[in-house]
Amino acid sequence: MSQNSEMLQMHWLMDMVQSVDVGIVVLDRECKIHVWNDFMESHSGLLANTVKNQTLFAVNNDIDKEWFIQKTKPVFDLKVRTFITWEQRPYLFKFPNYRPITGTEDFMYQNVVISALTSATGAVDYISVMIYDTTDKAIAKKQLEALQVHMTENALPVR
Amino acid sequence: MPLSVLICDDSLVARKQVAKCLPQDWDVDIHFAKHGKEAIEQIQAGKGQILLLDLNMPVMDGYQTLDAIQSGQFTTKTIVISGDIQPEAHHRVTALGAVDFIEKPVNPGELQDVLRQHHLLEMQEPTKENPALPLALQDIYQEMTNVAMGQAGEHLARIMNVFVKLPIPNVNLIEVSEIHMMLKDIESHERVSAVCQGFIGGGVTGEAVCMLSDSSFGDIAKILNIQSSVDDQLQLEVLMDAASVLIGTCLSGIGQQLDISFRQRLPMILGQHRNVSELIDSNLRKWRKTLAIELSYGIEGYDVQCDLVLLFTEESMNTMNMKLAHLLEDDL
Repeated sequence: MSQNSEMLQMHWLMDMVQSVDVGIVVLDRECKIHVWNDFMESHSGLLANTVKNQTLFAVNNDIDKEWFIQKTKPVFDLKVRTFITWEQRPYLFKFPNYRPITGTEDFMYQNVVISALTSATGAVDYISVMIYDTTDKAIAKKQLEALQVHMTENALPVR
Repeated sequence: MPLSVLICDDSLVARKQVAKCLPQDWDVDIHFAKHGKEAIEQIQAGKGQILLLDLNMPVMDGYQTLDAIQSGQFTTKTIVISGDIQPEAHHRVTALGAVDFIEKPVNPGELQDVLRQHHLLEMQEPTKENPALPLALQDIYQEMTNVAMGQAGEHLARIMNVFVKLPIPNVNLIEVSEIHMMLKDIESHERVSAVCQGFIGGGVTGEAVCMLSDSSFGDIAKILNIQSSVDDQLQLEVLMDAASVLIGTCLSGIGQQLDISFRQRLPMILGQHRNVSELIDSNLRKWRKTLAIELSYGIEGYDVQCDLVLLFTEESMNTMNMKLAHLLEDDL
């Protein structure tokens, strides 16, 4: 009975991972994909079954392999988190804008957090890559900058 | 820490001139202030055992400064250097506690004579005192950091194949004004970049500031095995990566001992989006004192100098003290 309820819990936990509005990808040391949640499916148009056990670089050949390995190495080796911010690199996965009609940008800006998934033995065999949509922030910043430029250019001369 | 000589004058030329007149072989740090208020802030932060003070300045003039030193009971020895040569001026500053008076323009011989006359040349280095943080607690924090550093250093060394010169952590309760100065200092230094990253977990919150001199970038890129040339964009990324690794290893070491797993926020380049002074001003009222753990890393064989400061909020200290209390009891 208790085993059953644990199973149920596991089930809805998985459901949450699937439905959360954040991209979740789990990779092993060879960067083979093990988890690819709903968010990733919806935005990439690739089903989890299609990408599973393929390497990240085979699925997305925009990613510079060497650079990405560099980003994940400390996570595997030191269990630290590493980060990629939209200000440095606008995106890891080139996804279309969430709002195709009223949005102004062509693609989704992303913050990425890479963290270690520790197994029961304490070893790190898998890492999670979380992708957050920061398009709104990026737009707000662009608008602010445009406004600043506009105000400097159209400032009234000081008498 | 060598003796600090603080030169306070509103004129850049005058500050430079006074600095040039100091004895060449005198082992001191020289600091500058543009007016009395800046001078007092620096004295509060432990600088300026000797103050060379102008009288006519904006914001806070020399008389007010002397007054503030007297009422603040600072041990600073002040020599007034002023163009105002009226006897009354001389009289007034002596009454306010100045040890001597030199007329502008100052010359090296005269300044040296005055310094020698008042035995300031052989003045002892200041001993750092931390009455606010009980010694036993300071010891514990230091030990906690030592252990964390040891682990972090070992990790870094193993992964990157380098020898990390382990710093001796400096644990202090510091005033807001000191952080203020530290951050301002970073801002004014074009050759230093800083990344800050918030962390939180188990009732402990704080912020880590990682400072790297720009000359370190090339070598860090080498250590991190980055092949392409280091342009501005890559430089930022290298800085963030290095910061994540240093902050992450150190925090996880501390977290292990406190039985806390810290979450880290995305790192930010300090002052990239908002002027540092603005940030400080908006935060000034929120807190007064903070626990600061300073670490200065070096890597053997590379020109890499990196300073890491972990700042914990006042509230966090209660939690940490409680968690660390068992160490104290065991020791006694």
